[in-house]
Amino acid sequence: MSVVPVLELIDVSRRFGGLRAVDGVTLSLGRGISAIIGPNGAGKTTLFNLISGLLPPSAGRIQLHGQDITHLKAHARARLGMARTLQIKSVFPALSVYENVWIAARQRYRPLDPFGLWRRDRATAAEAEAALEEVGLTGCADMAAGSLSYGDVARLEIAMALAQRPSLLLLDEPVCGMSPAETEQAVALIRRIGERTDVVIIEHDMEVVFGLAERIVVLAQGRVLADGPPAAIAADPAVQEAYLGQGEDEEEAVHG
Amino acid sequence: MSVTAINRTLTAVLLAVLVAAPWVLPMFEAEFWLAITAEMLIWGLFAASANLLFGHVGLLSFGQALYFGFGMYGVAIGVDRFGLGFWPALGLGIAAAVAMAAVAGVFAVRLTWHYFAIITVVFSLIFYFLALRLKPLTGGDDGLSFAPPPVARFGDVTLSLGDETVQYLVILAFAVAAFAFQARLYASPLGRAFAAVRESERKAALLGIDVLKVRWIAFVIAGGLAGLAGALFAFYGRYASATYMYYVVSGEAVIWTIVGGTGTLLGPGIGAALLTLVREELSTVWEHYLLVVGAVVILTVVFAPRGIAGAWNAALARLPGVRS
Repeated sequence: MSVVPVLELIDVSRRFGGLRAVDGVTLSLGRGISAIIGPNGAGKTTLFNLISGLLPPSAGRIQLHGQDITHLKAHARARLGMARTLQIKSVFPALSVYENVWIAARQRYRPLDPFGLWRRDRATAAEAEAALEEVGLTGCADMAAGSLSYGDVARLEIAMALAQRPSLLLLDEPVCGMSPAETEQAVALIRRIGERTDVVIIEHDMEVVFGLAERIVVLAQGRVLADGPPAAIAADPAVQEAYLGQGEDEEEAVHG
Repeated sequence: MSVTAINRTLTAVLLAVLVAAPWVLPMFEAEFWLAITAEMLIWGLFAASANLLFGHVGLLSFGQALYFGFGMYGVAIGVDRFGLGFWPALGLGIAAAVAMAAVAGVFAVRLTWHYFAIITVVFSLIFYFLALRLKPLTGGDDGLSFAPPPVARFGDVTLSLGDETVQYLVILAFAVAAFAFQARLYASPLGRAFAAVRESERKAALLGIDVLKVRWIAFVIAGGLAGLAGALFAFYGRYASATYMYYVVSGEAVIWTIVGGTGTLLGPGIGAALLTLVREELSTVWEHYLLVVGAVVILTVVFAPRGIAGAWNAALARLPGVRS
């Protein structure tokens, strides 16, 4: 191993009472676009919570660019270059779309300055505008974030993550709830982002996953079931079984 | 015209009226109102402290009276026991409130919603009972009276709080400075961090905002505002009393804020002024005037959740030719 992995999980576990939501996961992630898939309840979002610092692990270690971040809080991890969107889309609803992105962009430069005027901060304004432009929300800049459609909220979340200029971007079900047209746009956007930033996505839409990811990790019952390029994952009988055991909806997801 | 431009103009008019009051009120033989206006300004400042936490950072405090009380006692003890002048005593009052908020804040900001509200009440009750017990220092039930030192001397001219006009203008100057400070604070990057924490602490943390630190900073600044209000009230009443540290006083700050307009700049001042007015006018004719206050609060929460200031802004934005 000559290259330091972007993100390394070493025997990471998380228990909720008797439930092992994440059970001894050892993974090395990064470089390009990777996807984490798995049936409902496989521990995907819990794994993201452990990586982004919203939950402390019960055991194991997590490293970002070779630095141990196991005991760092979420905000400290964000400052090290990790950005994350949430499965249940989360923005600052009472603030304008522009303010949402501005706040995200400002966190890299004296974020708690009590003396400056935020409206006069040209450098951050330029970054916020660029992020809105990239996701195509420039026209909604002055709207309250809470009044956006669901698909636009998802795009705003991605714009906020981009404004953080992350080195690692974690997207939790980025196209969930989007129309087919919106999904197509979002996939193109994520592909563009993946050219300059390492991206990890959790996604149920298999068309999206297989269209984007260079590498797929399959989780089942908190463990890594399979890990490899899309073609190998699609042909893996263990993966098929894990999904087929879940009922018709999930079966459809694999084949559709 | 925009809503902001209209409100700025009205604020300037209000400021001019407040500055002119000591000379205008005597023309109508209404000098009595100068003292009441001074009191309104102090309570408006106190309500602003609750509003900073609730309206801007999303923390509902029922314990701001603690810092008000520390401001009062800082001044009273400073003047009465240490023989301090006006400015050092004022400084001591604010410093005491800020120090207390810095300590209490470490514990309080780890909690949110009702847990936060409860811990703020508990802190203020502890020191309320302590102030009642520590009779040699605080005067216990009787409080601590003192003769206010002069504000400043210029040659032969002495500015004394004994002069109603001087007292009023001193209080007005501090109130204006404190509200200008808040306006600036809310327009700063720190002010945006406050808003982010209020809207979603989880999202704020994921963006890199140290939520506990931001809440602590807000808690300390709010303590300082309440301390300033308490210090001014001590000079105004020439005494300090544990009564003003009771949590019911904290609750009034919350009520004034809700009625005036949570999360707005002048809303807390408007709410405090209106309800102080109700108290002054109505309590003389009807002892159950608090029923009216209760009704006003219920009507506000139901029909104007953003308070008087919020309803005013919404009404302005609906006028033809006015931009929001």
